[in-house]
Amino acid sequence: MIFIRRCAAVAALAVAVATTASAQQDSRLTLIRDDATREVVRQQLGGALSRGVPVEPMMAKALEGVAKRASSKSIKAAMTRLEENWHRAAKALAPNPTDDELSAGADALQQNVPESALRALRKQAPGRSIALEIGVLTQLVARNVEPGQASKMVLELMARKATGTQLTALSSAVQEDVEAGLAPAMALDLRGRGIMSLLPPPSAVSTLNPRSTPRP
Amino acid sequence: MDLERDETIERVAQALAVVPPRDAQAVSRVMAAVRAHKAQRPSRLTLVMEWMRQPAFSVASAGALAAAALVLGFFSRGAFGNAGSDQSARSTLEGQPTGEFPIVTGGVLPASNSHEVRAVPVPLVFDARNAKSVVVVGDFNGWDDTKTPMVRYGTDGPWTATVLAKPGRHVYAFLVDGTTLVADPRAPRAKDLDFGGDASVLMVTPP
Repeated sequence: MIFIRRCAAVAALAVAVATTASAQQDSRLTLIRDDATREVVRQQLGGALSRGVPVEPMMAKALEGVAKRASSKSIKAAMTRLEENWHRAAKALAPNPTDDELSAGADALQQNVPESALRALRKQAPGRSIALEIGVLTQLVARNVEPGQASKMVLELMARKATGTQLTALSSAVQEDVEAGLAPAMALDLRGRGIMSLLPPPSAVSTLNPRSTPRP
Repeated sequence: MDLERDETIERVAQALAVVPPRDAQAVSRVMAAVRAHKAQRPSRLTLVMEWMRQPAFSVASAGALAAAALVLGFFSRGAFGNAGSDQSARSTLEGQPTGEFPIVTGGVLPASNSHEVRAVPVPLVFDARNAKSVVVVGDFNGWDDTKTPMVRYGTDGPWTATVLAKPGRHVYAFLVDGTTLVADPRAPRAKDLDFGGDASVLMVTPP
């Protein structure tokens, strides 16, 4: 019995040490050739992990900065922002967000999508991944659609059980319209109406198919 | 009925019915002893520290503990540290996967796998006739420039690769000759508020 207890204690210690140490000894750190940047990233990773943010998105942000030849100062600032946005996304997408949703949520917040919009999306679909919907909303806002209008449209389409293909089609169509010179608000309204004309109203969806499973 | 009235039994019953007087001093002595014992009892922390300090390891148990720690340390390092994202990518054409499929990592913040979605393959094509090498970097492969090298189609054709990305919005770019980051001319530009620079947006639809 004593032996088992000691084993458990040593194992827990090993896991804790390895988890923290691994963040600071990730082999991908060697991809960062600049010593100062590598040290900054190492410290940021260790700190973020201790505060509950996984290594992967933080490391990806660092390597993105390296690929774009950003300074160590810029990379540090970007990693700090990501960590803050990750925590904000975790609150907005509670109670059980996936890492994909958190990544998408942090990206959305970075693009100035409000937390209230994320909360509304989660409320609309509490039992399935909404990473795609968050991505569509983010892209609409990135194309200068006003966040309130964009989130209202995405929520409306979700309520009518729009498919993932329809949602991404909306994003692409608005993108093309804006590039062609149409005002973002008008492009979203036109394209959104077009897709909604193919879908039943929300009340019909809930009445006709009350136990329908969420869209995959 | 008389047989049931046993004289002996009645005497015993009378004797037992008398409650002996309580010795107040004895009671106070017992209570004082209990309190003293409770006060001397070491805390849980002390017990744990003593337990950890006890040099009672046999050679076999010490060896087993060391092995267990090494194994657990090794696996946890693999799981938390050197893994890529849960999406990966690989070059195609000629059927030669060159990327790796890393271990899926878990977040420490509340995360549930109950509604995880699967990644789908997305082919990418890039024209760069004079390039010596082209690599795809993006959030689907953790911006790791060793994971998704593109393959030239024929001797003078475009560069191609297929990435695995989950449904949603992704940002990516092509790294040409290991030095120049180029946006995909076939895709919308990404507005990067962190670093600026060239990148593209990939909207992935569920299968």
